[in-house]
Amino acid sequence: MTLLRRYGTLLALALIIAVFAVASPGAFGSMANLVNITQQMSLLAIVAIGATLVMVVGEFDLSVSAVVSFAGIAAVSLFGAGFSIASVFALVLVTALAMGTVSGLLVARFAVPSFIATLAFGTIIGGLTFWISDGATLFSGIPPAFRDLGRGALFGLPVPTLWLIGTAAIVWLLLDATEFGRRLYAIGGNREAARLVGLPVRRDMVIAFALSAGLAALAGLLLAARLGSAHPTGGGGYLLSAYAAVFLGMTAFREGEPSVPGTLVGAAIIAVVSNGLTILGVPSFLQDLMTGAIILAAVLVRQFGRAGD
Amino acid sequence: MTGGSEGHQPFLVLDGITRHFGATRALDGADFGVAPGEVHALVGENGAGKSTLIKLLSGLYQPGAGRILIDGEPAVISGPPAAEALGFRFIHQELNLVPHFDAVGNAWIGRRHPRRGPFLDRPAMRAHVAAVAARIAPDLPLDRPAVRLTPGQRQMAEIVRALMTEARLVVMDEPTSSLSETEAERLHTVVRQLAASGTAVLFISHRLDEVMALADGYTVLRGGRTVGAGRIREIDRAGLVRLMSGGSASTGSAAKTDRPLSAGATVLAADIAFGPAGARARLDIAAGEIVGLYGLVGAGRSALLKALWGAVPAHGIMRLAGRPLAGGPAGRIAEGVIYVPEDRRREGFAGALSIADNLALAHLSDFRRAPRLPMPARRKIDAFARQVGARLRLVAASLDRSPLTLSGGNQQKLLFGRWLGRPVRLALIDEPTRGVDVGAKAEIHDEIRRLADAGAGVIAATSDIEELMALSDRVLVMNGGCIVADLAGALLTRDAVVAAAFGHASADLSQPQNQAAAVA
Repeated sequence: MTLLRRYGTLLALALIIAVFAVASPGAFGSMANLVNITQQMSLLAIVAIGATLVMVVGEFDLSVSAVVSFAGIAAVSLFGAGFSIASVFALVLVTALAMGTVSGLLVARFAVPSFIATLAFGTIIGGLTFWISDGATLFSGIPPAFRDLGRGALFGLPVPTLWLIGTAAIVWLLLDATEFGRRLYAIGGNREAARLVGLPVRRDMVIAFALSAGLAALAGLLLAARLGSAHPTGGGGYLLSAYAAVFLGMTAFREGEPSVPGTLVGAAIIAVVSNGLTILGVPSFLQDLMTGAIILAAVLVRQFGRAGD
Repeated sequence: MTGGSEGHQPFLVLDGITRHFGATRALDGADFGVAPGEVHALVGENGAGKSTLIKLLSGLYQPGAGRILIDGEPAVISGPPAAEALGFRFIHQELNLVPHFDAVGNAWIGRRHPRRGPFLDRPAMRAHVAAVAARIAPDLPLDRPAVRLTPGQRQMAEIVRALMTEARLVVMDEPTSSLSETEAERLHTVVRQLAASGTAVLFISHRLDEVMALADGYTVLRGGRTVGAGRIREIDRAGLVRLMSGGSASTGSAAKTDRPLSAGATVLAADIAFGPAGARARLDIAAGEIVGLYGLVGAGRSALLKALWGAVPAHGIMRLAGRPLAGGPAGRIAEGVIYVPEDRRREGFAGALSIADNLALAHLSDFRRAPRLPMPARRKIDAFARQVGARLRLVAASLDRSPLTLSGGNQQKLLFGRWLGRPVRLALIDEPTRGVDVGAKAEIHDEIRRLADAGAGVIAATSDIEELMALSDRVLVMNGGCIVADLAGALLTRDAVVAAAFGHASADLSQPQNQAAAVA
């Protein structure tokens, strides 16, 4: 029982994989497909890892999907204006960091509840994105080298998977092994206590929001690279899935705390369910239904585990 | 034997109650009895089983063995509704009011509200509450949200809620721990009134003076067992302490060791306006002295300490050994100032982090893998935590667990422990031992004295006058945000402190300048 409580979410992932592998040994269980799943989950997981940073300090960033869309549109527009790949990356990421800084300042400095601040600011970013793109899908002027950053393979692994591995490793290290990470968890645990022991609470919170926006923008750039185009609402699906991954992850390890490994497990569950059901030919509304049910089940198992303590 | 009131037989008796949690015996043969109209004190160190006993009465726990007798009949208290039906009311240490409801709204929570048609009948609600309040708290503002009431008024609102229907037993857990002297007096009056009307009052308190003054009967628990019970007039303070501690621990606020009062150099010189309008304090703290900071609730003690700590805005001069203090708490820490907050759960630590991580939090950069690499080494943090644990005799199942698993006394030690091993020049301590048992209290007092002996200036704010007198070399009394008296030597008496706090100080005591001269 203790084992189920502690590693229930991990066991659930293993179980789901096992069920699909039995149901569809050839298609689902093949090495190629498993590798493919890591690619399918990569952009979602990068956005979710950013959301995790903000969740660690006990706040929400609801502007992530707006930033994903913005980054794609901004990048393709800049290519149209003749900018190089490196300068497009730099400009888009710096703009996103600035956007996150604004969200962070609204929350940390001006005490606007993060739910409202990031919802409002996300809406503003969405409007800005529509303005830039005129509401159209953009695809002209994207250099082929940029497209290679979001597709193909390197060392036998899909390029998006490599981006995910890099991002996850850096943020995990940041949260788990650095003073900054310890401070974020302390701020999330008890903001007033953190302030009274002299931690730079406001600055650290602003950095968490900035990094969240930065990672969402990275996902937006990779999405544009993979698709070879950008749509002004291209990132719309990421918000709910990213938070679903974070919440699932919070049930996976550590006492209910958001963490990078947890978020990876959460994103993997979502990706595996989606991939497996698609292979089995299950219609997509059933996929949503199952994903929702799995999240509820994970949280419920946890709650019952708590009650038993 | 269980204690009964003269002329009355106990209506509620617990007989040989046990309650185990795994291998832990929270109660192990507890006996207890209370009679109608009796004020009964339940005393014991933290972990003695007091909370468990109360949870049995409220129906949250069931006894493992033993009997609960009500009016002589064996009874089962199946849950809080059953306790409510029996007329048992509980006023918990952490008050349970809805912050944005006023006293009227709070009093009616969970009850059938009077209605007119489908709507709440506010006038009828208010009239009923006003009738109850008129008996015990006529000056309680009934229409003010609980957040804007003083701690004393909140307590009264809780009691009003408890008395909305006929109560046979009112249980109060540390009711005066956050009250000022006047508010506590007020509560004592209400308790006596309740008892006079035939209601039994069971209260838990760590303030033995209060127990001696207020209770008719007592029960002492130690290690889950009743080790003494009887009439208060047949025992003295020292007798109670012996029973609680099993004859080993000191009284906590034991006789003050006569520490040599060397006139150390001034560590802190401050003249600041802070917090509430008109709050202004001028103070000088010397190295090696323990300065007690006393005042009624709302007098500005906590605000002054927070201002010195840089956690709330302040204007004026703050110098530490001649150098201006700046840069908020982090700047203070760098200069060797430490702070222990008043409310350990809200301000003290992060429950989601382990005990070890909480200990390291204030100076994470001391635990780096390499001097220029901002990555803490687990090994160093754990070593520090073990060292602190041993030094302060921290009783913890594991240092990897949450501080929420610790008892109040051990949580308090944690807040001191995080500063160990660093040179301290000034210690700002707000309520060093609130809700802490006698044994841990003595250890914390020793720790504070060690700080002063090592040359730190210490300011310790406390609302426990026994603690104040036991600990302080000198006492500053605050009233209305200002320091109104500075007492030391022969002038430092309980009466002088209380008089100043209540604003009755004679003219020559109310002038800090004159007083400084008198001390010198």
